[in-house]
Amino acid sequence: MPGVDHCLQEAMTIPGAVGASIVDYTTGFPVATTGAAPNSDHEATAAGTADVVQAANSRSLFVSAVPHDLLEDLIITTAGGYHLLRVVQTEFDSRLVLYVWLDRVRGNLAVARRQMQRLTDELVAT
Amino acid sequence: MPPTKTAGPGDLLSQVAGERQTGALVVGGHPGGAVYVFEGRVIYAESPAAPGVGELLTSSGRLAGRTWQNALDLGTSTARVGRLLVEQGHLTQGELELCVLGATYDAAYFTLATARASVDFLPSATHWLGPVVHIDTAAVLHEVGRRAELLDDIFPDPRIDTAPVSPVTRPPRERVTVTALQWELLIHADGQRTPADLALLLGRAGYATIQELRRLAALGLIELPEVRVPDAPDFFVRLPRHRPGAVPVTRPAPVPEAAPGGPPVDGMPPARGEPPPPEPPPPGVGNTGPNRLARRKPGAKLPKELATENPPVHQGTDEVLLKRIRTALRALR
Repeated sequence: MPGVDHCLQEAMTIPGAVGASIVDYTTGFPVATTGAAPNSDHEATAAGTADVVQAANSRSLFVSAVPHDLLEDLIITTAGGYHLLRVVQTEFDSRLVLYVWLDRVRGNLAVARRQMQRLTDELVAT
Repeated sequence: MPPTKTAGPGDLLSQVAGERQTGALVVGGHPGGAVYVFEGRVIYAESPAAPGVGELLTSSGRLAGRTWQNALDLGTSTARVGRLLVEQGHLTQGELELCVLGATYDAAYFTLATARASVDFLPSATHWLGPVVHIDTAAVLHEVGRRAELLDDIFPDPRIDTAPVSPVTRPPRERVTVTALQWELLIHADGQRTPADLALLLGRAGYATIQELRRLAALGLIELPEVRVPDAPDFFVRLPRHRPGAVPVTRPAPVPEAAPGGPPVDGMPPARGEPPPPEPPPPGVGNTGPNRLARRKPGAKLPKELATENPPVHQGTDEVLLKRIRTALRALR
C-alpha cells in the first residue's frame, strides 16, 4: 500500500529528481520531505511553495476563470533546475501539494509531470 | 496517575519524548486537548477546537458515517481503527496518513500553543486510531510556534480564535473578494457559532479556519469581539449576549426609580412621578408575544396556534454538539 513515504521515494526515481516534499500550503509546512532542498532548507522551500500556490489559487484569477476549475500543477523553471508543484486532491479537507525539484540537465518536464500525476493519483486512489 | 500540575505543555512533551515514553499528554484549560506519544514520537493529537480524523472523513463525505462507526466498533478495543479502514479498502494508506498528519498538527496547535496549563501525563495510554504516523516531537513543537506567529502576522488579535463569529452587516468597501473557505465561514457564521463550531460543522481544519477568520478580521468583514472586562470570571458556558436595544421579554418595563436615570437636578428626584402601570392590552389582535398569553387555568393546554408552533431549531449547533458528545464518549471506551 503506497503511503506518504513511498510516494516520496517514487518521486525521487523521476529522472533528474534531487529532492521532493509534500507541503501543506495553508501553513507552508513540509509534512514530509526527502532528498535535497534549495539552500538545504526544506522549511523555507515549503514556505515559498505555499506562497506560490496561494498566489495562483486565491490571489489571481486563473483558477476562477471557469466554474469548478481547479489548480493542477505549477511549473517554475530556472537556469539550473525545474521546480514542479502538483496539488494533491483529497476529498477531505487538506491543502497539500507535492513538490519535486529536478536537475535542469537530467530532468524532463513532460516525463516528470506525468509521473507526478500518477503519484498523486495513487496516493489518494479509491 | 500522577497529580495534575501546571506547567508548559511543550516542556513536558519534550521531556516525555526525551525519555522515549508512551502515553497521553492531557492538557486542560480552554480549548485543551491531548497529544498521544508512542516511544517518544507523536502519533496523534486531539482537541475540541480541531475536527478529528473521523469528523474530517465523514463531514466531507469521504466515508459514510456507518463505515466509520463500523471501524470504530471493530477496532477501538484493539487500537487499530486506522489500519482496519485501509485493510477493508475504504481508504488508501496515503489518504489515511495525510488525514492523520493534518489532524494531528491541527490539534497539536490548539493543545500546545498555551504557555501554561494544567497538564497530566497518562503513561501507556494509547489512542484507538492506532499508530499511523510517527512525528518527531521537536518538529511538532517548532510548527506550533511557527503557526502562532503566522496568525499574529495576519492580524494580532487572539480573541478572534475563540469568540463567536459575527459578519459585519455592511462591508467596509464597495468591492469585496473572498476565497471559497472565507465564503463558507461568512455564510455559516451567525453570531453564535465559535470558530471551533464552524470548523466542526464545515469539516475544515481548525487552524485553517482561524487563519481565514483573522484574514476576514483584517479585511474588516467580521466584527471584532468585545474586550473582556479583566476581572470578570472566565465563562466556560457562553450565554447568549444581551443586545443593546433588545427588549427583555421576561421582565416588565423598568420603573424609573430603579433605572439609573440622568443626574438629578438640585438633588431632587425627577419630577415625573410614577407613570401609571401600562394598560393590559386587549386579548386578540397584536397580542401573540410569548409574555402576552391570556391567563389560563392550571393544566390547561396552550392555545392551538401557539402550541403547534415548534421552537426554533438551531440545527448546526445541535449537530456539532452531538458530534462532540459522541467523540467524547468514544474516547472513554
